[in-house]
Amino acid sequence: MARLPIWLRLAAGATFAFLYVPLAVVVAYSFNDSRLNAEWVGFTLDWYRVLFADQEMLLAARNSLFIALVSSLAATGLGTLAGLAMHRYRPPWLPLLVITPVAMPEILLGVSLLVFFIQVLHLTLGLLSVVLAHITFSIGFVAIIVRARLAGMDESIFEAARDLGANPWQTFRLVTFPLILPAVVAGFLMAFTLSIDDFVITFFTAGVGVSTLPLQIYSMIKIAVTPEVNAVSTLLMLLTLVLVAAASRMDRSFMKGGA
Amino acid sequence: MLRLLALVLALALPAQAATLYLYNWNNYISDRTIARFEARCACRVVQDYYSDNEEMLAKLAAGASGYDLIVPTGNAVEALLRSKQLRPLDKARLPHFGNLKAEFLNGFFDPGNRYSVPYAYTVTLLGYNMEKLQALGLPADTWALVFEPRYLAKLKGRVTVLDSQRELMAAALRYLGHSANDSDEKHWKAARDLILRAKPYWAAFNASSYIKELTVGNIWVAHGYSNDMFQARADAAAAGRPFRIGYAIPREGAVLALDSLVLHNTGRQPDLAHRFMDFMLEGENSAELSNLIGSGNPNRAAMAYIRPEIADNPAVFPDGANMGRLEMLRDLDRRQRRVLNRIWTEIKLR
Amino acid sequence: MSRTEDRLSRWAVTAPPTLFLLAFFLVPALIVVLASFQYPGEFGGLAPLADPGDGSEHGLTLENYRFYFSDFLFTEILLRSFLVAAASTLICLVLAYPVAWLIARSPKQHRDLLVLLVILPFASNFLIRVYAWMIILGPQAGLAQAVNGLLGAFGLAPVSLLFSPFAVLVGMVYVHLPFMILPLYTNLEKHDPVLLDAAQDLGANAWQRFWRVTWPLSLPGVFSGSALVFIPVLGMFAIPDILGGTRDMLIGNLIKDQFLGVRDWPFGATLSIVLTLCVLGLAGLAAWAGKGGRHG
Repeated sequence: MARLPIWLRLAAGATFAFLYVPLAVVVAYSFNDSRLNAEWVGFTLDWYRVLFADQEMLLAARNSLFIALVSSLAATGLGTLAGLAMHRYRPPWLPLLVITPVAMPEILLGVSLLVFFIQVLHLTLGLLSVVLAHITFSIGFVAIIVRARLAGMDESIFEAARDLGANPWQTFRLVTFPLILPAVVAGFLMAFTLSIDDFVITFFTAGVGVSTLPLQIYSMIKIAVTPEVNAVSTLLMLLTLVLVAAASRMDRSFMKGGA
Repeated sequence: MLRLLALVLALALPAQAATLYLYNWNNYISDRTIARFEARCACRVVQDYYSDNEEMLAKLAAGASGYDLIVPTGNAVEALLRSKQLRPLDKARLPHFGNLKAEFLNGFFDPGNRYSVPYAYTVTLLGYNMEKLQALGLPADTWALVFEPRYLAKLKGRVTVLDSQRELMAAALRYLGHSANDSDEKHWKAARDLILRAKPYWAAFNASSYIKELTVGNIWVAHGYSNDMFQARADAAAAGRPFRIGYAIPREGAVLALDSLVLHNTGRQPDLAHRFMDFMLEGENSAELSNLIGSGNPNRAAMAYIRPEIADNPAVFPDGANMGRLEMLRDLDRRQRRVLNRIWTEIKLR
Repeated sequence: MSRTEDRLSRWAVTAPPTLFLLAFFLVPALIVVLASFQYPGEFGGLAPLADPGDGSEHGLTLENYRFYFSDFLFTEILLRSFLVAAASTLICLVLAYPVAWLIARSPKQHRDLLVLLVILPFASNFLIRVYAWMIILGPQAGLAQAVNGLLGAFGLAPVSLLFSPFAVLVGMVYVHLPFMILPLYTNLEKHDPVLLDAAQDLGANAWQRFWRVTWPLSLPGVFSGSALVFIPVLGMFAIPDILGGTRDMLIGNLIKDQFLGVRDWPFGATLSIVLTLCVLGLAGLAAWAGKGGRHG
């Protein structure tokens, strides 16, 4: 292996710093003893105290968790099926249908679901509309991860199972599913992370009384920035960190799926 | 996994106590008032916030529902009424209605107050850094401060204006000597040109964070609501800043926003909503809002409870002559909205 | 295995996700197309398609498209969005390439860790990452004071870093950078170092080795990374909202305003359709260029 030139190391190091310094600033200011978020005054844990006493923030956190859990479970089911279908039966329309909602600018999906829910379904925007929207954009990620896993497997296993007299359901339950399980779990975690994180589509599909953490953060940034935002951001970063670590342990293709 | 799901489902179930959904301006009621009402009615009050009437109307048009009470400004009351979204009041359940000052009743948007209970009012005016303006020798009581390049040259990058089509146009129209409700396209274009000439000097269009920017000292002049300026002034004093924040109604005239409590017809708790309205009509509760945010108060019984430095502030409680120069905004029809939309887009782009 | 059994399992696997996506992706997309030909409702939403019988507007119209083309203004906003997206993509590419290369050339046991280091900040909410720049670029922060101190030393007027096109660009690049690094890395990792050694043996200097060997081979990664940055930036409204100043309206902001600000859904739908067509055109172009890159 050739030694890497020093300028390359420096350039890469600078980019890594660019990636991490802002986050460090957010974390540091969550301990700043000043309401104004401008200059450093002193260390305090008050903003975490404020955060845990903030009923609306807690409610938003509860909504976020609920939406993420329900939507990612549903998306995992549907996405796994989509991944299997794309691998096994290769219907030409499915990849397009699965990938396009992911590939388009988010605002387009948000807007179209808003119009659809109101104008066609006459649905009151709320938890249900947000969950449906999140499932829609999560399916693709799960499907991609599952298909990547299937593509890397030896087809002869499934043939062997069939030759031994297993019906399709038995083949799936006894052979395919255990083999793709890590990818399914990784897909679930990915969908969960995406749902917890989503702002744009939630922004268009959430209604009365339904706020999620990102929506709450947005309105705090827009209206009244106090270091409480930093505190909630810091905790949210910790949570996603744990989730990402878990997902990447489950399946390396998670990283590729993120790409 | 199913057990976890069940747990989360249980957590997400609504609480048992009756819940009153209030769609309100950001920071437009005291927490103490809410707490007292919750104690009295043994219920819960949940608030959602907006920072612009258009935003609120658009969200409702976009299907937001379930709000018992909304606090729209006059023109938005009119729009809600015409689109049949409001529930008539039952005055018999509002024994304190008589506390209201006569000059705030029978607004153009709701003659006879069949649907709306005046809640509080603000004036859209200019807030400023007193020390900076003094040092620069600039006047404080004219829209020229945000529209005239000869003043703005000294304020470059230190001015924010409201990110609101109607409010900014109203300020420009008043400065040009027209009514804030003028819908003559020629006048709109003149206002646009005035705005475009001034825009290079402005830092940002801002809906609400100018409070903080004024307090920190980043911004020296902000176009905004009187109650926000009051907040900025208090924050700057509390933070021990070396300057004070002042605010004044421009002499060319300005927009008065009378916000009223109305019942949205998708609300599920009309009884509770009436109780809340009457609760807010009691002088002491009503005064709490003025004391908290420095808003004007349409309630006679409240005046005794309002702190003198607020009650005596002419930008909060204008005298007769100034009152005469204030205008309430009326709603536009959809054709006018589209014309204004195009002009606004142009303002944002150029 | 029987034919019916096979057909059944095929159906059981394919139908649920297909039906769901038809219902919640394709149908809503078609509704937007329809909405772009409808009149706006007087109080927001859409005017009815069928005659309500009170003489008000209903049915289909080209008015919204006419309105779009009546003024170059709207196209100009679209073009500006393209410009911002192109600039963000280019900056991302310049920043991402060294990192991706470094990771690809690192010893195997370090690569996963380095990739994780790229993903981690990307896993925190993007609003948080945008907000971070609000603090860093604010006038009280050291950066703005240093810049303005320097400008002052040369007798220049101070500038505002926050609320400017610069801030918007920084935000866009920061939020989307990992989208560029990851596909580039996946591509560069596959390059055979033997090729570079061969080039060296043939007397190519470092620059020639990069420009003649590595760069052409990495083009597919460059294209997919660029698409992953360009397209989201094109529709972004939150970053200009938070970091932008008085001239930073992009097409995403305009669309958002139509739905949640000025109650003009049909025009918002029209703008969405225009943006969709642009994205589809771009995607086609990228696919075509990507193929060209691989074969050429």
